[in-house]
Amino acid sequence: MAGAASALFLLDMKGRVLIWRDYRGDVSAGQVEKFFSKLIEREGDPSSHDPVVFDDGVTFMFVQYNNVYVLTAARQNCNAASMLLFLHRVIDVFKHYFEELEEESLRDNFVVVYELLDEIMDFGYPQYTEAKILSEFIKTDAYRMEVTQRPPMAVTNAVSWRSEGIRYKKNEVFLDVVESVNILVNSNGQVVRSDVVGALKMRTYLSGMPECKLGLNDRVLLEAQGRATKGKAIDLDDIKFHQCVRLARFENDRTISFIPPDGAFDLMTYRLSTQVKPLIWVEAQVERHSRSRVEYTVKARSQFKERSTATNVEIELPVSSDATTPTVRTSMGSAVYAPEREALLWKIKSFPGGKDYMLRAQFHLPSITAEESTPEKHPPIRVKFEIPYFTVSGIQVRYLKIIEKSGYQALPWVRYITTAGEYELRMI
Amino acid sequence: MPPAASQRASSTSSPSGKGELAELKTQLRQLAGSRAPGVEDVKRELYKKVISYMTIGIDVSPLFSEMVMCSATSDVVLKKMCYLYVGNYARVHPDLALLTINFLQKDCQDEYPMIRGLALRSLCSLRVQNLVEYLVGPLRSGLKDVHGYVRTVAVLGVLKLYHIAPIACTDNDFPAMLKQLMLHDGDPQVMANCLCALQEILTQEGSNIEEAGLDKDFFTRKPIIYHFLNRIKDFNEWAQCLVLELVAKYVPEDPNETFDIMNLLEDRLQHANSAVVLATIKVFLNLTMSMADVHQQVYERIKAPLMTLVSSGSAEQSYAVLCHLHLLVMRAPILFSSDYKHFYCRYSDPSYIKKLKLEMLTAVANENNTYEIVTELSEYAANVDVAIARESIRAVGKIALQQYDVNAIVDRLLQFLEMEKDYVTAETLVLVKDLLRKYPQWSQDCIAVVGNVSSKHVQESKAKVALLWMLGEYALDMPDAPYVLEGFVESWTDEDSPEVRLELLTAVAKCFFRRAPETQRILGEALAAALADAHQDVHDRGLFYYRLLQHGVESAERVINPPKQAVSVFADMQNSEIKDRIFDEFNTLAVVYQQPSYMFLDKEYRGPFEFSDDASTNASATESSETMLAGQRVDASDNDLLLSASEKEYTKGVVATNGSSSYVAPSSSTMDGMGVLAAPTQTSFPAVGFAIDDLLGLSLHTTPPEPAPAPPPLVLNAKPVLNPAAFQQKWRQLPVASTQEYTLTPQAVANLTGPQALLRHMQAQLIHCIASGGQAPNFKFFFFAQKSDASAGLGYFLVECIVNVTARKCTSNYKTDESNMLESFASIFQSAILKFGS
Repeated sequence: MAGAASALFLLDMKGRVLIWRDYRGDVSAGQVEKFFSKLIEREGDPSSHDPVVFDDGVTFMFVQYNNVYVLTAARQNCNAASMLLFLHRVIDVFKHYFEELEEESLRDNFVVVYELLDEIMDFGYPQYTEAKILSEFIKTDAYRMEVTQRPPMAVTNAVSWRSEGIRYKKNEVFLDVVESVNILVNSNGQVVRSDVVGALKMRTYLSGMPECKLGLNDRVLLEAQGRATKGKAIDLDDIKFHQCVRLARFENDRTISFIPPDGAFDLMTYRLSTQVKPLIWVEAQVERHSRSRVEYTVKARSQFKERSTATNVEIELPVSSDATTPTVRTSMGSAVYAPEREALLWKIKSFPGGKDYMLRAQFHLPSITAEESTPEKHPPIRVKFEIPYFTVSGIQVRYLKIIEKSGYQALPWVRYITTAGEYELRMI
Repeated sequence: MPPAASQRASSTSSPSGKGELAELKTQLRQLAGSRAPGVEDVKRELYKKVISYMTIGIDVSPLFSEMVMCSATSDVVLKKMCYLYVGNYARVHPDLALLTINFLQKDCQDEYPMIRGLALRSLCSLRVQNLVEYLVGPLRSGLKDVHGYVRTVAVLGVLKLYHIAPIACTDNDFPAMLKQLMLHDGDPQVMANCLCALQEILTQEGSNIEEAGLDKDFFTRKPIIYHFLNRIKDFNEWAQCLVLELVAKYVPEDPNETFDIMNLLEDRLQHANSAVVLATIKVFLNLTMSMADVHQQVYERIKAPLMTLVSSGSAEQSYAVLCHLHLLVMRAPILFSSDYKHFYCRYSDPSYIKKLKLEMLTAVANENNTYEIVTELSEYAANVDVAIARESIRAVGKIALQQYDVNAIVDRLLQFLEMEKDYVTAETLVLVKDLLRKYPQWSQDCIAVVGNVSSKHVQESKAKVALLWMLGEYALDMPDAPYVLEGFVESWTDEDSPEVRLELLTAVAKCFFRRAPETQRILGEALAAALADAHQDVHDRGLFYYRLLQHGVESAERVINPPKQAVSVFADMQNSEIKDRIFDEFNTLAVVYQQPSYMFLDKEYRGPFEFSDDASTNASATESSETMLAGQRVDASDNDLLLSASEKEYTKGVVATNGSSSYVAPSSSTMDGMGVLAAPTQTSFPAVGFAIDDLLGLSLHTTPPEPAPAPPPLVLNAKPVLNPAAFQQKWRQLPVASTQEYTLTPQAVANLTGPQALLRHMQAQLIHCIASGGQAPNFKFFFFAQKSDASAGLGYFLVECIVNVTARKCTSNYKTDESNMLESFASIFQSAILKFGS
């Protein structure tokens, strides 16, 4: 049995109910408040707690966003994965409506919130969670006067993610290929694990019901077509598509064809688990000269081709929480001590490939240590960067065709970028 | 909301409740009949105020009649606010709710579909018993509405009606109408809602909608399944989950059908919605349950999508996915052993994710990856937060107990002790103790280091107990053992934990038997302190030791310090029966909680799908379900018998057909009766007898249980005949006569690379195998043997034998129609299986 939610709650940071919608009448707001404030009291920070909690016959699943908790309560044996995902969809819907989801925006717009809660779920079963579609029949104050009293066609037709009659003067599509590199290097300098998570992010401004076809340098496809691959084709490990993509088509002949939703969405995500050479390598030597002085010697090296350049590089070097009076010298970029993050932040605006940069820093430590010293945490060095016009996987968009029955010409814009995801290098 | 929330209203700064309300009341009254231009805007502001009071928990129900009076409007937003208000207060003021019926009914006939839908939804959500009669008409027309939106609302309205008044719902033929809509409506959302509604109605106990052509098996029949499968791409993502959930219950007729369904659904694994992917995985797993090789391929196929889901998306989503991955990893660790790097923790992972990952790392450890995994775990022990550091040390210990690369691991553990962090030391001590219990041969290395641990650094009682145990047990290897113990005895009164005091007493006594001259004095002090102890157990043990020693030192030593045998297997926390149950509830909360749903759900929310129709008598449940299903299920259960990875309890009346979840949720009475959950292995009488003897400390060697009048020696038939069908039938008819557990020799395990080796061996002992299955480390065999002088069709012994290679454990369930010979047979079987490999 699928399992339905009993109610949906929006709570503030103290666990008090801001707004809730009762779907099945078997959980009370008091029960939730009591439980949740107890949880906050006990845990201090519920975000470190499992997002699924059981209390007295009721399962609570929650997600924190800014200063709001979005929570469902259920008495049935429901599907955890789908409920948690649903909560995230709810957050997306609110974000679409109020720019930002936070306590204030909910308080200011409680009428719309109620309206939305009424449509996204009925009797505990998720119904419509596409913000674009909902916004056609639930308007915020500004547009209130034009409210339609007719649910849009999309609610009831087969293409549930796009409604008919969309019009743009200029038809454009923006396609961003974003790859984020996750890497973990252990204290011996070995790459323990690495993978690349890629996403094709699209923003469409297209009229009507356009048919799109996307061609990638997918090895399987190119080989099937009998073309020479010449090392340019790529193997994608695991691909996930937005619900608009015709999966059966892809299974048959690897064509990615779809009618896109209006606006921004992730067309597809993929993962590569091949060993990736760390794009930016950081080595840190920490020397304690005496009880009260510590010196860092850090070398950062870019390990990609010279014609690419990493931008907005930020290297976060963990520093003991009681360090004082830093003196820093860098061969490039600037470094600031950020006590609130217990780290030294080394920022390099532009870091071309094949270069080495150095940083030296010195800190003073209090000569007396606290008696009740908490165990040291040893966080890793973390690196953030962006490398435009470059992908680790070598994925290429070969074409993006847009066909609409009115026959307009649409402009596709394609961009590539590689960013650092979870990029961690453990210190010795 | 009202009752609980209104309590809080008094604490929050309420805008002077009464006065404001009265003012609103008059304002609303004035507006009620007005048709002046701009009146809608004023109304909207007033409504907004009322709703905002309601939201912060002020009871605005006194305005009920005024609100209803103002509800005559064409403004959608106004209507919505009004519906919301009405929905909130109708249940607490059923008398007032009657007022709203009129305008809601009118709105149900509005020209705009949006309003019709909203009004119908509100009408059905009132949940007032005596208004049911007003619901029927609007619902009926709602189901026939031209607009899909109204129909989707109406379908769930039927379900709501069913919850208030099941009889009214069935009497009006609503289930039959839903069935029609489900099969013939063009709108996928309508169909999906019908599916929800009908399934939920069916799961309600005592639902009687057979006349609508809906019985409990309705949804698992081929036409329905195909109806939904063929349209799956039309549904939105949430509805797809529902359909997949349904398909997972379906039992295909033949392998071809299974493959067809899987091919059709293959692409769902690429869906961006993790819930859809998980639901698809459930279908795949359930469909292939009876095809071991394909089942394994399915694991390979689903690995990549699962790993991607784990590494992308929010922490909460990866948690949900990880819980399921965890379950799969625990079922088949070998299949995931090369993917161990995916379970490495990131610094920023929340601790609930790290915990799951650690458990998985422990599970997938084997000869090839142990070194790397333990290296990684050691980093966590030093690095991250305390809770995770503890978990990682425990994980290292668990891997050590699985006996891969013990040497290296012992070194690691000893390094942990050198880190001199209290919590690390504490966890490590507990582990070293467990290790020593299993591998006494490591004592030299361990004890040398443990001896260096300063007792000042050991604060936690579990760690103290571990340290004391080692001090007592290895007093001869630790030169200063008596003096460390002396320190503990001196601070006896400061020790809060009775467990520590108990262990201290025992440790001192053990030390005394080994090094009497140095320990005699502190033993006296310890006994004195124990006798004066306020804790009953400590006091009693002190007295007991004292009298034992009085009686004679040698006999005291025999009791307090008998020669130890290494522990071969630590008790598994969860028996495989429960694990199977959880697996059957894949993609539900059961997986997250790691408990079958009957353990956490309130009874009324379980539904008969998980319930037996006749839970009171197990035997009759077996029979009834069997006679009913015999025809169609024999084949399926045949396969299942051979291939399910671990045992199912046949005695419990479970016809365990994969896919159909007709499992019995044991009611409390049956649970008591069987004790399956409490005592997973030893259920039969002889076994229980042993257990009690053992409990009393009466060693089995000294007083072997006298066998009943010796039965004549058992001679087995060299060529017994029993075809699978007959075996099947006998297996079902006979109760489990005995359950026994043996520990296999390491050689046996080494030889057990596949089922065949054991089969040949047993055959040589005149015990024949009728079926076998499973993959390492779990194998399952069905053996049979026949008494040599038995008449045809009689004198059979049937054995279900489950072998776990990693644990070197072999559990056998015996059934026989020759119960007086069972014991002899069991001993033949035991000696046969223990001889395997030697």
